[in-house]
Order: sequence, then C-alpha cells, then structure tokens
Amino acid sequence: MNVVEVQNLHKSYGNRHVLKGIHFEAHAGEIIGVIGKNGAGKSTFLEIIMTLKSFDQGKVRLFGKNIEEAHGAALDELRRNISAVLQPTQFYKSLKVEELLRLFKAYYQSDVSIEQMIADFSLASHRKTYFEKLSGGWKQKVSLAIAFLSKPKLLILDEPTTGLDPHMRQTLWAYIQHYNQKAGGTVILTTHSMDEVERFCDKVMLIENGRTKQFDTVRRIIASGYQSMNDYYLQNVPSSEESVS
Amino acid sequence: MIATQLKYDLLMFFREIFYVVFSLLVPPATYIFLGQLFKESTYSGLSYADMATPSFVLLIAFTVIFFAFGFDQVASRSEGVEKRILLSPVSSKTLLISSVLKSIIITSFGFLFIHAIGFFLYDLSLKPVQLAVAYTLFLLLNAVMMTAASAVYSFFKNMKSALVFSIICFQVVMITGDFSFPVNMMPDFVQAAARANPMYHMNHLFIDVWNGQLAWNSSTWTAVSFLSFVFVGSCIILSLPGRKKV
Ligand SMILES: Nc1ncnc2c1ncn2[C@@H]1O[C@H](COP(=O)(O)OP(=O)(O)OP(=O)(O)O)[C@@H](O)[C@H]1O
Ligand SMILES: [Mg+2]
Repeated sequence: MNVVEVQNLHKSYGNRHVLKGIHFEAHAGEIIGVIGKNGAGKSTFLEIIMTLKSFDQGKVRLFGKNIEEAHGAALDELRRNISAVLQPTQFYKSLKVEELLRLFKAYYQSDVSIEQMIADFSLASHRKTYFEKLSGGWKQKVSLAIAFLSKPKLLILDEPTTGLDPHMRQTLWAYIQHYNQKAGGTVILTTHSMDEVERFCDKVMLIENGRTKQFDTVRRIIASGYQSMNDYYLQNVPSSEESVS
Repeated sequence: MIATQLKYDLLMFFREIFYVVFSLLVPPATYIFLGQLFKESTYSGLSYADMATPSFVLLIAFTVIFFAFGFDQVASRSEGVEKRILLSPVSSKTLLISSVLKSIIITSFGFLFIHAIGFFLYDLSLKPVQLAVAYTLFLLLNAVMMTAASAVYSFFKNMKSALVFSIICFQVVMITGDFSFPVNMMPDFVQAAARANPMYHMNHLFIDVWNGQLAWNSSTWTAVSFLSFVFVGSCIILSLPGRKKV
C-alpha cells in the first residue's frame, strides 16, 4: 500500500495558480526529497499532504484513505500517524522548551522519555528557556525533537536543516536514517541542499512551474548523465531571472 | 490530556504580563481607588460597594475573556501556533474546553478577589444564597461573552489590528458600560451608545441580581432580549461555513 498517493493536484491562492498538476507517491520506508526554487510550491504541497491546507482539484490519499473524506475522529487518527516540521515553526511562545515537550508528549500520548529527547537533541542547556527567546536554529531543534516524540509512520519535514549548524545537521540526518531503518518510517522533506538530497534521499521530486517535472530515484537521475544532484538542479531549473513570466 | 493542556494554558496566562495587568490588576485597583473617593455616596439607595462590586467582577470577566480568551485566539492564529497544534492529534474540542475552563477559573478568581477586597475595605455584607444566584448568572454571562468574543475575533487574522480593536473596545466598554463613569450623567449620544453595548446590559442585570433587586420591568426585558440576540447572533456567525479555509 502506498503511504501517500497524489494525483493531478491543483491549488490556487485566490487567482494565483500555484500547483498545476502534481503527481506523487511514497512507499513505506522511502526517504523522498522535494525540490524546486523558492516559491515553487513545495511548502504548499507538503501542507496539503499534512492535511493542513485545502486544495482545488485532484486526489490525495494517505495510508489508503482519501483525505477529503476524513473528518473528526478519522482525521485525528490520520494525523496521529504523521509528524511534521513546518516552515517557519511556531509554538506557544511563553512556554519553556521542556514544557513544550511535555505538552506535545501528552498530545501524542507518547511513551518516549523527555529526558531521552533532551539528551538526543542536545537541548539540555536551554531546557528552561522560553520558546520565543530561542535562536532560529534552536527553534528548529525543538521542533525536530517534537516531531520525533511520537513514532509516526510518516514524517514530513519542510526544510528541516535550514538554520542548523553542521553538527546539528549531522545529528538530524542520523536521526532520520535511524528512524527510517529501525521503524521503517517514511520521510518526505524539502531542502535546498542538493548535497543532502544526493547523500540521503532515495527519490526526488522536482516541482517546476507548479507541475511534477521529474520524479525518480536519485541514482537513476545521476546515472542519466549528471555529475551530481547540484549539477542536475542547475541544468534543469532556470534561475529566477530567466523565468520571469 | 485536558488537565495537561489546562495547566499550561493557565501558566501561559500568568506569564503574559499584558493579560495579568489588564485583567487582574487594573480592575481591582480601580475598584479600590474609586472606593476611596466615593465610599460615602449612595446611588438610588445602593452604597458604593453594592454598585461597584458586581460591576468590577464583571469588568474582570470582560477583560479576561476579551484578551486572554478572544484576542489570544487571534494571536495563536496569526503566529502560526494554531497551525502547528492543528497538526497534532489533539482535538479542537479539547483545546476549546481547556480554554473555556481556563477563563472560568480566572474570572471566578476575579469574582472572589473583588468580593474579598469589598469585604475587608467596604464592609460588604455577603448573603450566601444571593451570592450563589449571582454566581450562577455570572457563569451564564461568561458564556455569552465567550461566544461573542469568539465570533468577533474570528474576523481577525492579523494580531496588530486585533490589538487595536481590543484596546478601543476596552475603552468603549469602560465609558459606556456604566463601570466607572455614570452613563446617565453623560451626553445623549453616549447614552445611546450605551444602550447598544452588551456590557451595559450585562452590568445592570448583574447589579440587580447581585443586590437581590431584579424586577421584571421593561429595562430588564430589554437587557435579556438584547443579550439573547447577541448570543444567537454570535452562534450564527461561528457556524457559518468556509471561514476556516486556507
Ligand atoms: N497563504 C498564502 N496566501 C497566498 N499566497 C501564498 C500563501 N502561501 C504561499 N503562497 C504563494 O504560493 C507560492 C508557493 O509558496 P510556497 O511557500 O509553497 O513555496 P516554497 O516552494 O515552499 O518556497 P520556499 O523554497 O521559499 O520555501 C508562492 O508564490 C507564495 O507567494
Ligand atoms: Mg517553503
């Protein structure tokens, strides 16, 4: 069964047609990168499959269920299986890091230990800091720790590594791979780092002009004649100046 | 889960200086201050404490509900907190129940606080039955205010405009609600505005009930029907579809 299945997805904001036909699917255990230039619609796409945004046309299935037909308890049940990091991430600003972890632990009714999460994501030095006083990278760390509080079947991360220092990036990827291999979890993420896509993703989807321009394994893309994913990106995505429409 | 949410909701309220000052410091301080000026005066047979105690209890409820309940919804919507919470498997019902309980706990604390001040400073005589009836009405009025606040703030997406609105609203209510400045000594247009202010009606209804003087006369009927109208209107606004689309 496909974890995520998207057919011919369209979405407009007012009269601005952002997604014009996205085709996508994710099988259990895959790590998939979604790429495209700024404003291509990556976050919009992710928020639709997170069940946060409505869409105009097309089909979106999560764990075999049509999300347009899921309401109330059924929707809560779907959401219980998904964890996510949003762009930008916001939490109750007047709660401390540790309190946020406790609150979300209650939401997910998770049995993960808070101490373990604080240790794994090296949050100890700021456990008593208010969320609003954290730096951008630290907010990102907290947000990631919260995403890993539950043991979701599907993890959706919108630019998870943006703002993280190299050590934290490494920790995060180790975490993602561990989760992926041990729990068989599926990961869908966006990133502007082609290097990360090449090293860690099984597949990649390129959104260009609101459409799925390419959706294939990283290995096949590189084998089709590129030195690296960066090379692929530069050759296939026109820079913003060239594509003013 | 409700207990955890409620605990943190209360914690967040008390950490927000703005909410605490506006709702738990300003009204009691005003109550004490005006009392020092007017404690000898009587108002159509009622002493300062008889008039002001129920008024200030209600004023606290108003500030708590408009700021910490209503405005807070806009704040979390515009800051993206709402979106993040929506993503987690906590039902919106749980969140709503928790924030209703939070408001009731704080407004009830205000109820006790003002009564305690009145008791020690202004020789308030408290009759248990009358107080119980008044508290029941107080809870009802809380419900009306929460519904109205949710409806009003559902129109706001932006925190700054909501804040400006809240502060103006607070001023208008202070002036036309008969809370600290007697409306019947004001110009006609203010008196007319007062009639359109739900808080004015709540205030009078509550003063009457609190003093055990409720008479079913025309002004009581006007107040009750006006408040029912506000309540039903707010429910309709809240039930309109399509407001949540993103
Ligand atoms: N809530 C919204 N209302 C109106 N327009 C929006 C909204 N959200 C996004 N857009 C527009 O939709 C387009 C796609 O935005 P989106 O955030 O999905 O892009 P993105 O690919 O994630 O970009 P980035 O790489 O910069 O994060 C942009 O042109 C943006 O201006
Ligand atoms: Mg984005």
